Amino acid sequence: MPTTVAEQFRTKEAVAPARVPQRPDGLKRWLGPDYRLGFLFVLPIVVLVAVLVAYPFCYAIYLSMTRKYVGLPPVFVGFENYVKLTFDGFFQRAVVNSFVFTGGSVAVKLVLGMSMALVLTSGIRFRSFWTGVLLIPWVAPTVVSALNFLWIYDGSLGVLNYLLVKVFRILPQGVGWLSEPGTAMASVIAVNVWRGFPFFGISFLAGMKAIPGELYEAAAVDGATAVKRFRYVTLPGIRNIVIIVMLLSTIWTFNDFAIVYVLTKGGPGGATQVLPVFTYEMAFGAQRLGEAIAVALYMLPALAFVIIVLARYMRRGRGRA
Amino acid sequence: MSAVALGKARRSQAAAGRLQATVSYAFLLTLLLIVLFPFFWMIITSFKNEDQMRSLVSMFWPSPFVTDNYRQLLGKTDFLSWYRNSIVVAVSSTLVATAIGTIGAYALARLRFLGRAFMSSAVLITYLVPPSILFIPLYAQIRSLGLADSLTGLIAAYPSFTVPFVTWLLMGYFESIPEELEESAMIDGATRFGAFYRVVLPLAAPGLLAAALYAFTQAWNEFLYALVFITDVKLRTLPVGLSTFIMGDVYGWGYLMAGAVLTTLPVIAAYIYLQKYMVEGLTAGSVKG
Repeated sequence: MPTTVAEQFRTKEAVAPARVPQRPDGLKRWLGPDYRLGFLFVLPIVVLVAVLVAYPFCYAIYLSMTRKYVGLPPVFVGFENYVKLTFDGFFQRAVVNSFVFTGGSVAVKLVLGMSMALVLTSGIRFRSFWTGVLLIPWVAPTVVSALNFLWIYDGSLGVLNYLLVKVFRILPQGVGWLSEPGTAMASVIAVNVWRGFPFFGISFLAGMKAIPGELYEAAAVDGATAVKRFRYVTLPGIRNIVIIVMLLSTIWTFNDFAIVYVLTKGGPGGATQVLPVFTYEMAFGAQRLGEAIAVALYMLPALAFVIIVLARYMRRGRGRA
Repeated sequence: MSAVALGKARRSQAAAGRLQATVSYAFLLTLLLIVLFPFFWMIITSFKNEDQMRSLVSMFWPSPFVTDNYRQLLGKTDFLSWYRNSIVVAVSSTLVATAIGTIGAYALARLRFLGRAFMSSAVLITYLVPPSILFIPLYAQIRSLGLADSLTGLIAAYPSFTVPFVTWLLMGYFESIPEELEESAMIDGATRFGAFYRVVLPLAAPGLLAAALYAFTQAWNEFLYALVFITDVKLRTLPVGLSTFIMGDVYGWGYLMAGAVLTTLPVIAAYIYLQKYMVEGLTAGSVKG
């Protein structure tokens, strides 16, 4: 059933017989009726994607198979870098940390975002005020937010310790949130969650608003409890959005550089070392470019899989899978 | 169900409703506090002096209220150059991205030509490829073009993430504009380009605004490329410049937070002013259910 204006037009278009141009010349038949303007308009993107993404990407794959130091020509070594990394303890730790960081962040963002969306759909007053304010962390510069939290977490002068020790008296003494291995990971996850959960909430909210009200009325008439309405009406209605948002956030979080770099640089003692920061340090600290790119590309098969699945869902969301 | 039982059920339902509302507002207020506190803290800190920060007195209000931090930031650091750099880079790359993205999105959404489906996929996939796997080869590329350590290099590199995003967002907008409008304009004698320029563009204006705002925000906030591409202190952008304040032994929290306030200001101001478009753009750009 067509729901939006656009879909109605699409359906109509599909039913109507295709308009055949009177005398299509050869080029138009091969290249499509609008090829002149089409090629002209797409050309900048083609150049841009080729020069800034496709070529660097292919070059990266080549470089990852070389021994390359800054200022020296690369020496081809095949898969040596990848093999070495596989047995490198620091790399293994960064992989584990990246999964903990991503898994923890996305899980908490999902719960918070879902709660936020559910509360905001339940007849709250001033809804646009709440959504507006709650989205602020998402637009604020990441580095600024990370610096704010660096100051809030500060072991001796930070306000978090002040609140917990002096105001609420929950802790006997202050904690070095970012300098102790036991709390560092949770602390950086908290910042990522703080910044990212509004995106979950707003997206879920948009999905919930699109669910027809009759479905809820019908469920209520049938005596469905709130939990059942959520389980059998809301969840199926926003299923695609939940999948898209979670996959998007997984990619973004797994590759988040700024938060960890600003807060801990991977410390203390590698406790929060994640792959993007590890890549950066290997490239610009140790100056080992080939290995650094191998670090960045090590997860490429997994990343490519996620991207392909996600792209499918996003195109389907636009109604043209 | 008898009338009495029905009344009882209604009353208990109303009570449950009140309880639910209370819990809902309490939850939202908690979220609000958590979301806003870091900003509150940033602003408060920027007006405190060093002594007050060290002695932990009057934690939640500056006493005395001083503007020294701002004076020091603007007078004794390179902050103003960084600000100028950020404006130059963000504005130029926003203009580039919006122009390229708009025509590209129109072509991919509307025109029929060979390779359109392939390019649509390429744009989406490019949008999803994260900077952390591109920054080293992109740096090599920018350097081989002779653009390393220059603002031009950043202006050239930022479209690698702003253009795919803008294009993807605007494709959705263009698709939601009925094709009949263009067709009737063309029957009235407009060319394909004329129909795009005079009919579709004005209708897509809110989308263009949202896209441009997001491109600006992304460029303004970008950290990794700016950190890697720029070595000259004077050529840093704001996020990188600010982050170098913490590298020294002495954390100048006062002027660091003053810089944070001034860095956040433009994006938050734009957001508050144009919130409606941005919230719509966000849900249209990444998820449209």
